[in-house]
Amino acid sequence: MSITDKAAAEYDYEHLPATSPIGAPLDWKWLRGAKSEWGVHPKPGPRGLTMLDIAVGSYGDVPDNPPHRSMAPRGADVDPDTPDMGYILNKKSDVWAENVRELYEEAVARQWSATRDIPWTELPELSNDLEHAMCQVCTTLTEVEMIAADLPAKWMWRMNHDFIEAKMFLCTQIMDEARHAEVFRKRALANGGGLLMSRGQSEGLLRTILEAKTYHQATALMHLLGEGFILDIFRMGELISPSPVEKRMFRMAMQDEARHVAYGTMHIRYAIDKDPDIAEEIHEALDHGEVVLTQFGTNQDFGSALAVLLAGGVEHVEDKGFPLQMELQKKQFTSYLARCERAGISRLHRTKLPLELLGIDPDTVLAN
Amino acid sequence: MQIDTASFFEALADEMNAHPDTFRVLGEGDMVAALVMRRASGDWAVRLCFEGLRCEGASEVAADEAHLADFYLDGPFEAWQAMFADICEHGSASGRQTINSLALLSTDIRLRGDDPMGVDKFSRFNQTLQEYLDGAARIAVVAG
Repeated sequence: MSITDKAAAEYDYEHLPATSPIGAPLDWKWLRGAKSEWGVHPKPGPRGLTMLDIAVGSYGDVPDNPPHRSMAPRGADVDPDTPDMGYILNKKSDVWAENVRELYEEAVARQWSATRDIPWTELPELSNDLEHAMCQVCTTLTEVEMIAADLPAKWMWRMNHDFIEAKMFLCTQIMDEARHAEVFRKRALANGGGLLMSRGQSEGLLRTILEAKTYHQATALMHLLGEGFILDIFRMGELISPSPVEKRMFRMAMQDEARHVAYGTMHIRYAIDKDPDIAEEIHEALDHGEVVLTQFGTNQDFGSALAVLLAGGVEHVEDKGFPLQMELQKKQFTSYLARCERAGISRLHRTKLPLELLGIDPDTVLAN
Repeated sequence: MQIDTASFFEALADEMNAHPDTFRVLGEGDMVAALVMRRASGDWAVRLCFEGLRCEGASEVAADEAHLADFYLDGPFEAWQAMFADICEHGSASGRQTINSLALLSTDIRLRGDDPMGVDKFSRFNQTLQEYLDGAARIAVVAG
């Protein structure tokens, strides 16, 4: 029922003033005649009132093609002369993912603090090689993490405001990435080391992601490819961490990163389901992105620093570090290819990743 | 500790549910996980349902039904024993005995699942699952 019917029938709003005390005109439309749905009364669940709980009635309907291009909240009674904000992502399939509300709530519930939740006082003194290796890894991670904040920021103001839940989720991602940049920068400095080498391969990857021509391409490059690979590096974090401080840092970052990957995978799935023609556009981006990512993965600083940490020092980098690193790279590649399948964009026989070099048979990737 | 029993995992659930503040720091988590223990005497599996800050169910299932969970962790009984022994010895999983490290190396325990999105919940809620498993150290103390 609209407020108009009920208000007119039951309440007396006829004698309200026509102007404010300073003479501004008043029309009381919000009280007398808004067409918005009234009385939906969502019920809080055990954890409070979530975005899923309030997706009720007309407020839960996300239009495939919103009629407005303003910042008016979806479900509000929008004036016809509301200005166009210049959005270019105006189809639901441009940005939506079926799990986006759930992911937003999860992100809010699982925030943590790089200042408070890492046991910084427990950092032990490390050997020179391990401290340098950890600082190098943290330098590279500080450099690459902010791309996953810059990229959504670049696109969010172009997204139609009716897709508010997707924009809200991307806001949490931006906060997550700020925290990741913070925690890795802090670790690089906290134990008497510092920030080490930054080289072109990292920047090449970041530029490729940032300059993607469409949001579909951007999210495929960032969420599916880039963050998918970084997620596996964070998973590896426990193995490379010399102390509980780094372990905690990687464990917490891993949980955040997995949410971002979950959004990207399901967004691409949704987009391809709605418009199969965009698959080729995504493939083209990944054809290029995988080549650049391979260059990043073979970065002479980051890769060797990881191998030193995996080996527990430079002494065993060849007999322990590199072999273990190769095993873990296999996992990165196969996890990524499995996610691509889930996203509806099979890369098994098109990928530019060096599967042969790692002895990966694309026909057995999905055999689990 | 008899780890291949539903009562053991129910006790871990009770331990989790009795300490919501420990889990509130990590935030709510929603996942269904299964653990499969391969034994010479026959495989054994348990299904764990996590909702919010609680473990709402721990029940024995057939090992061939483990794939119905979001993800499942599959390994020889001895590997699970070693993991819980480490937890009890150190108060929480240490070194390469954390569930993430074990699953990453896949030498003993493998992370599996039908849907990569389900499998990724292992990473999304990893510390909730780890804290749940670490409860073994506390219930072992209580059990004396």
